[in-house]
Amino acid sequence: MRELADKLLRMDRRVIFVLIALATLIPLLRPIGFPIRISPEVKRIYDHIESLPAGSVFVLSLDFDPASKPELYPMAVALLNHAFKRDLRVVGLTLWVTGTGMAEKVVSGIASEYGKRRGVDYTFLGYSPGGTNVIINMGQDLAATFPTDHYGVRTADLPVMQGVTSLRQVDYVVSLAAGTPGVESWYVYGKEKYGFELGGGVTAVIAPGLYPFLDTGQINGLIGGLRGAAEYETLIGMKGKAVAGMDAQSATHFIIIGLILLCNLFYFLTPGTRIRSFGSAQNSPGSPREAGR
Amino acid sequence: MASSVLLGAWVAAGLTLCMFSFLYKDNPFFRFGEHLYVGISMGYTIVRIYYDVMVKSLYTPVMQEGKWWFLIAAILGLLVLTRFIPKISWLSRISFAVIVGFGSGVAIPRIISSNILQQVQGTLKPILNAGQSSFGMAQFNALLILVGVVTVLIYFFFSIEHKGPIRVAARIGIYFLMINFGAGFGYTVMARMSLLIGRFDDLILFASRDYGYASLVLLGMIAFGLFMWERSSTASFGPDQDPRAAVSDARDEHPPQ
Repeated sequence: MRELADKLLRMDRRVIFVLIALATLIPLLRPIGFPIRISPEVKRIYDHIESLPAGSVFVLSLDFDPASKPELYPMAVALLNHAFKRDLRVVGLTLWVTGTGMAEKVVSGIASEYGKRRGVDYTFLGYSPGGTNVIINMGQDLAATFPTDHYGVRTADLPVMQGVTSLRQVDYVVSLAAGTPGVESWYVYGKEKYGFELGGGVTAVIAPGLYPFLDTGQINGLIGGLRGAAEYETLIGMKGKAVAGMDAQSATHFIIIGLILLCNLFYFLTPGTRIRSFGSAQNSPGSPREAGR
Repeated sequence: MASSVLLGAWVAAGLTLCMFSFLYKDNPFFRFGEHLYVGISMGYTIVRIYYDVMVKSLYTPVMQEGKWWFLIAAILGLLVLTRFIPKISWLSRISFAVIVGFGSGVAIPRIISSNILQQVQGTLKPILNAGQSSFGMAQFNALLILVGVVTVLIYFFFSIEHKGPIRVAARIGIYFLMINFGAGFGYTVMARMSLLIGRFDDLILFASRDYGYASLVLLGMIAFGLFMWERSSTASFGPDQDPRAAVSDARDEHPPQ
């Protein structure tokens, strides 16, 4: 037992990489179709959008960059599909300068699928510098914060913005965020002061930190990570990238849980075993030092 | 398919595979991808800042709309750059004073209100309302949150010695913290796997005939390149005489002070 434990605890880490790669690749090529359970926090965002009458103003703040695309892009696609289906007036923007091009692409791309006209049914305001100050300014005067939209048309002249001079006239805001400025900024500097309803969609890393805001009702719903995106896709009946990725996610989780359990089991069964000590295995294939060369 | 889309697919697949090649070991393909990423993201940011900030938020309002007071903010911004000129670097303090003063004034009341007062209210409200309805799951959750908040606060309260009931409470606080760290780690694993799934998803797409089998061709090329690189390293220095390894070892033995 001790020998086996020693062997496994000193295993080349590249074996684990291969295992994870296979666990990801196989379900993507041959989907299994694990069931997706809808969590209440995701359902609340869906229900809120369902409850909005056609023509309501929906602001989607895409506060992320391409580094978080796999998690947040499917959320943006699902939310925009839902909003355009419901004939809401969609206003897209971003507080992250590096996400501008990607955000514009997803808003205009989904809009064109529904035959929506730019400036009339939707617009993309683009990026404005200032982070959280942008939210405060939007609450005071939206046209002053974004004098023109991303395409250079005066914001005040846009038919989609008729009757919308500040965040007070907005019916629902959803921030898809990978950090700060993001959901918390929208709550702290926007919702509390200007009184609109707010939902959040975030990467899985920051989702646990937002549950206290959810419990207190400071945000009305939360879409967390790829799982949340898959739940939203299921709710609107769209089999998108998130649903496709859930099988792979489950498979990799199985592998990781198995490895953690196995390591702990061997650790407790073989007291005194040194895990990849820098004395003997420092330059062995796959060791951290060897990888750093 | 448009040639720009095809080119984009080849570049995306190639760079993804370059970055993944680090899982084998540090190598020139990885370093090429890494440096390109840093350069391109910085270049993209500068271009966007130029158009969205310098042109849209400064040049147009000042030159076309006559909003000359925007220049005050521009001058304050320029003063920050005096940090690079030691003789007049003190001027940058004016800008920093404005930034700190404005930032604190805006943030402190809002943060206290939403992150402290409303959170305290949210923690206590269900307990205070508990008498109005029978004790159910919601009340139990509220009680659990209250116990967690109080015991974690006790754990971080160092003004009194942790012994007796305080020690027990602090101990319970540690368990709450551990559960929190575990949940955070679990979510982090989920996030990292999602990123991997995203890249694999694209690689599978780019491996199709429509994209000229980009992923497969580039995977073969990078694997061949790594093989040749390993061979040339071994031929030049021998299997145990890689100079980069020697530098790495020396750095580990004598870390910079």
